[in-house]
Parts: sequence; C-alpha cells; structure tokens
Amino acid sequence: MLSRSAERLYWLARYLERTENTARLLSVYMNLMFDMPMDVQLSWRNLLTIFGAENAFLKLYDVPNEQNTMQFLLTDTANLGSLFSSLNAARENIRTSREIMPDEAWQQVNEMYLFAKENVDSATNRRGRVLILNEIMRGCQRFTGFLSGAMSHDDALRFIRLGRSIERADMTTRILDIASVLLAEDRTDKTRQYENAMWMNVLKSLSALLMYRKHRRHRINSADVLDFLLKDPDFPRSVRHCIKETEAYINRLPRSEGLTDNLTELTASLMATDIHRITPVQLHELLDAIQAKLAVTHNQIASTWFLAPNQDQSQSA
Amino acid sequence: MASLWDHYTVTNAYDEMRSSGNKARASSHHLSNYLDSLDGAALDVRKTAADLAIMEMGITFTVYSDEGNIDRAWPFDIIPRIIENKEWQRVAVGLKQRLKALNCFINDTYNEQSFIKEGLIPEYIIASSTNFLQECVGMKPRFGAWANICGSDLVRDKDGTFYVLEDNLRVPSGVSYMIENRVITKKVFPELLQDLDVLPVDDYPVNLFEMLMSIAPEHVDTPRIAVLTPGIFNSAYFEHAFLAQQIGAELVEGADLVVQEDNCVYMRTINGLEKVDVIYRRIDDQFLDPEVFRKDSMLGVKGLMRAWKAGNVSLANAPGSGVADDKVVYTYVPEMIRYYLNEEPILPNVPTYMCSDPEQLDYVLAHLDELVVKPANESGGYGMLVGPHASQEEVEEFRKIIKAHPRNYIAQPTLALSTCPTLCNNHLEPRHIDLRPFILQGESSFVTAGGLTRVALKRGSLVVNSSQGGGSKDTWIINTGM
Repeated sequence: MLSRSAERLYWLARYLERTENTARLLSVYMNLMFDMPMDVQLSWRNLLTIFGAENAFLKLYDVPNEQNTMQFLLTDTANLGSLFSSLNAARENIRTSREIMPDEAWQQVNEMYLFAKENVDSATNRRGRVLILNEIMRGCQRFTGFLSGAMSHDDALRFIRLGRSIERADMTTRILDIASVLLAEDRTDKTRQYENAMWMNVLKSLSALLMYRKHRRHRINSADVLDFLLKDPDFPRSVRHCIKETEAYINRLPRSEGLTDNLTELTASLMATDIHRITPVQLHELLDAIQAKLAVTHNQIASTWFLAPNQDQSQSA
Repeated sequence: MASLWDHYTVTNAYDEMRSSGNKARASSHHLSNYLDSLDGAALDVRKTAADLAIMEMGITFTVYSDEGNIDRAWPFDIIPRIIENKEWQRVAVGLKQRLKALNCFINDTYNEQSFIKEGLIPEYIIASSTNFLQECVGMKPRFGAWANICGSDLVRDKDGTFYVLEDNLRVPSGVSYMIENRVITKKVFPELLQDLDVLPVDDYPVNLFEMLMSIAPEHVDTPRIAVLTPGIFNSAYFEHAFLAQQIGAELVEGADLVVQEDNCVYMRTINGLEKVDVIYRRIDDQFLDPEVFRKDSMLGVKGLMRAWKAGNVSLANAPGSGVADDKVVYTYVPEMIRYYLNEEPILPNVPTYMCSDPEQLDYVLAHLDELVVKPANESGGYGMLVGPHASQEEVEEFRKIIKAHPRNYIAQPTLALSTCPTLCNNHLEPRHIDLRPFILQGESSFVTAGGLTRVALKRGSLVVNSSQGGGSKDTWIINTGM
C-alpha cells in the first residue's frame, strides 16, 4: 500500500471521527443548556474552551453567545476546527482515495457533505441544528458500519482504524476537560446541585450512559465517570481502550517495531493515577499529558509510514 | 394530441434520431415514441434525477479557478445518442485498423524510417515535429504497440458519413464519463434499457487491465500496475482515480515513485519500496522525467526514461507516441494504412489543408472565413479558428499567426457535425455532437461499444469540449434485429 494512500486514509478517519465527536459534543452541550435553570452560570464560552478555540473565536466574533458559538463551531469554514471544516477535510481525503475504497464509502461521505452544505441556513435555529447534528452522527456511524462489512480487514482498513482510535482517545480527553472547567473550585453552590446532570450529559455525549450503569452500578458522580471514561478496559470510547486498540493496529502493520513503547508508558502512568483523589487542576494536567503523548505517537506513525514532506526524488528511501 | 416532436426542427445537419422529414430513424423509433409519451414535466423529473445522481456519485471534472472551487459537476444530457450495431461494427474495425497503422508508423519513425525513405512523407514533417523524441530512437515496445490507448474523435457530416477528425495518442481522457453516463442512464431510463438491446460499455476496464498486463516486461510473472496522475488538481483526476480503482491499480503521483541504481521503478509504500512493472501514465511526455525532459517538472519521476529504455518498466502510452498525434501527420494516415497493412482505409479522414505546403497555404488564406483552422499539435480546443463563426478581427489575427508559423497549422472545411435531440428548458432541440471511441492495442485490439458522445450545449455551437461549455450524452449501440 502506498504511503500516500495510508496517510490519506488515516486522516480521513481522524477527520470523520472529529466530525462525529464534534456533533456529539455540540448536541450534548445544547441539551445541557436546555436543562439548566436560567440562573446557573454555564456559558457557551465553555464550549470554546473545550475546543481550545477561544482566541480563534475572538478573531472572528465578539460575543460568545449561542448563535455565534454554534455558528463558529458548526458551520463556519473559516474555523478550521468547525464541524463543517472537518467534514470537508474528510471528504477531500476520501475523494483522493477513491481507488482504494468501495464506491459507496465515497458516496456516503459525499452525501453527508452535500446534506450539510444544503442545510447550512437551517443551522441558525435550534431545531434545524438538532436535525443536522443527528444526521451527521448517523452518517458517520453508517460509514463506520459500512466499512467493517465491505472492506477487507487489511492494512488499508487498519490505517483507518488507527486514525479513528487515536482521534477518539484525543476527543475523549477533550470532552473530559469539560470537567476541569465545571469542577473549578470557585463554582457556585447552585452549579454544584446540577453536577449530576452535567455528568450524565458527558456520558451521553460518548454514548456511555448505559454501559456506565451496567459496569459501575453506581449513582453518577464525577470521580466514577472520570474513572470509567479514562480507565475502563472495554468501553470503546474510554481512553485506555482506545490506546489498547491503537497499539493493536500498530502492531499488525509492517515495520512497527518499538512503535508502541510510548503508548505502553502512557497506559502505565494513566493506570497509576488515582482518579478519585485528583484535583481539577491535576485532571487538566493529566489530560494535557495524554494529548501530548498521543501527538508523539502520531509523529511516529507519520515518520514510519507516510510520505515525508517534499520528499526528494533523487534520495533513495 | 400534440407531439413532443412537432416543435423539433431538423437543421441542415444530419440528425442522429430524426430524418430530414422529422421522422424517427429506424434505430430510434422506440426511443422517439417513448420520449413522446413523456411530457415536459416528466422529462424534467428525469433530468433532476440525473443531476442528483451526478452530485451524489461525485462525477466531476476540474476547472482551474481563483476561488479554489476545483470540482464541477459533469454536465450530462439525459437523451441518449443511438447508433445501430451493424454500422458500428464497421466503424470499430476501421478504428482498429487505424490504430494498427499508426503504431506501425510510430515504430517505423523511431527505427527504420522506411516510410520516409520511400518518400511517402517528407522528412521535414518528422524533423520539425515537437512530439518527436530523440530519446526514443531505437526503442521497440512489445507487439510494436506504442500508442496503447487511443481516443479518436469521429464526426458525421451532412450525408451521415463518419469521418475521423483526430487521433488522440498522448493522454486521451473521457472514458470514465462514458462508463458513468451509462450508470446514470440506468437510473433515469431503466425501462428503456430493458426493452432495447443496448451493448454494455463497462467491459472497458477489464480490457484496459488485460492490455496493460500484456505489455508488461517479459520476465515479470505478476506485473504490478500503477496509474500515474499529475495529481488531485488535474482536470482529469476523477478519471485517473476511477480507472485505477476499476483495474485495481495503484494511483500514484510522481513523488510516490523513485528510480534506483538498478534502473527499476519503485513506489514508496508502508512496507518500504516496491517494484512497479507497468505504468499507465496520464502525464505528458514533457513532464515525464526531469532528468531528460523539462527540468522543472514536479510531476514526473527522475530516471523514468532510463528505466523504460532498460526494459524494466512499460509505459502506456510509450513516450514519443505523440509523434503521430499531430494534425499534419494525420493527413498521411490513409497512406499509412495502405503502406503498412496493405488494406484500404475503412474510415475517411476529413479533407485537410496543410499550411506548410505553399499552394495549400494560399488556398487556406483565401478561404479563412469558411475553414476551421487548428494548431497542428495542441489539444483541448484552445487556439483554433472556426471561420464561419469568427469576427473579422479574429480572422485577421489568425492570418498573421498562420503566415508566421505555417508548419504549426492545418485547415479543414467546416463540417456540419450531426445533431442529436437535447433537453433544453423542458423541450428538445437539436445540438451538435461528436463521438470519442477508445481503442486499445497491446497483444490484441479492442474498441469500446460506442464511446463518449460530447455535445455542444449552446445553440449552433460546434465546440464540444467540456472545458468550453460542452456536455455529454450516453451512447447506445443497439441491435435492431434487422
């Protein structure tokens, strides 16, 4: 398989996973906002914090109200981190990978893109937004489901799954970062009362509510939710599980010797952390550290399998 | 009841579906009646369905623009163009005959040059051809097949005779649209395709694959094939990806390939370097190898010519094939057929005046307002003069250019180009069309069933190129049982 193709498939999967998770996050946050009584201070600004996009936002907009925040994160293609931008990037990667993908795979992503483009205007109201987000989430899942039934489980699919599992681990840490914001020491008593509702929504955003209940058999509380989403070995969106999958895909690819050491270390330090005693500041640092480690693995993947930028043709590889 | 055809006007040109008395031709009887049973609104529903399918299938061609909006939906007209199989079989034999002769000519040009020595073509024509590559002298590709993939443009004149307008031997494009057009038609008119005996077109990729396998270097057991594209910004990228997918080949760009000390071509894969044996290249000669041709080419592969000359990789089409894709050389094709094959040409050329010949040049300059003037070796429909449609200034402009570079121009009478009913704002109007069949030659020869029918969507226009407002139609070769 061509290095170039591997790279495109990997990015296709990352962008599509990012698209799906962005849709999940926006949709859950909207729900959360609807549940909250008017006097609980929870702002749309938090969403920008989760995406690490406050500065980028302020360059394009002034007030972080619902309308602006949603537009910025959902439809604004001037924001490279918006859902539409991710979807565009996913489409561009699959458009240029058509020779290695079943036709229907391309058509599904293309249809999703056309749907989004056609419905841009309806994203300004809540109802239209909910419909778009639902359709995007469904579309991404259709795609994933279609591939597992229609593509040989070969290196090409492994690069797709590799990209997906890394992106998924990364997105879960970003969603959990919501906690370091919401659990800030200076939060009001009123906010504390609604904490469970928040955690419920965090679980929902990762489709984890039922699995949490089944496996933890606890009432919902912040430490248990964090522990579940960071350390559970079996839940598909928990950070630990995603790392385990990433390792497995890497090990099945050629020339992968030594490439999983970084992830082994990451798992070890994650498992050694006592989530039940962690402060919000420590949590934020932990999540940052996980993200940094994932970036290291990404760079290793790129330098092992992808086409080096400006590869000099005279140079033998 | 009023008929859809009451308002259809057959022009002076030959109409593919209606005779001069506006009666359905025998092969189009069924289609004519069927269309008549639909009203304007029903036709529009079909058209909308086709447009939607094109969007969803992502059938695009690329237009360079400032806004970076690089993909345009493929303009497709839902009314098919019909050719009777009996007539087509004759044309197909003529096309194979033509490509065989052209390949003999190319092989001869780079080897013995007997055609020139016997005085059948003046030496200066070859010597002055920009597509003649010194680097290819002495090469003998397998089966003597240099141009393995050819797209010939056919037009019908007033009396219905098919003429060959040109043979595209470099990197002809359009075959993917021929195949996708049929896919769309199956969605739009499923009932029609069921009732009529229409030859399928989707066997092209299989034949392309077999041809590419047949030309692989002899010592290779299971050849690896790659399609070399200039990249995602090329106007034909969709087609490169489509063909690579259809034949199960790798789609590579120049940077994916490397030629090593052993003069073999390798591609960069996740396993490291892997050898490539056959390259279906969709890059022009000049960009193929910066070591030999244009030094500034970012698209090509350094050392590719070395590898090809060492016999370690086969290139389709072979470099230098373009020497026969020249409108001056074109005029000698009937002679080539007689000389190399000892046969009479089945398909006629369009009468062509060569500006390089002083007598013919005088005639051309005196009749610029009625002739079509074309550069001898350009493609894409740019830089040509359609005399009857040109302004006085344009004619004078061309007069100067032709006088300055007579070898670079040829002229042909303005052909009427046949018309075909085309959907324009809910009703049918005649629009001019041509036909580009694709011919393959490796160990054996193959011709597509029909080809890509291109249509000039503007009333009266004769320019069918997609880059200049042309569209396309599905082409049906049908058995009428007669």
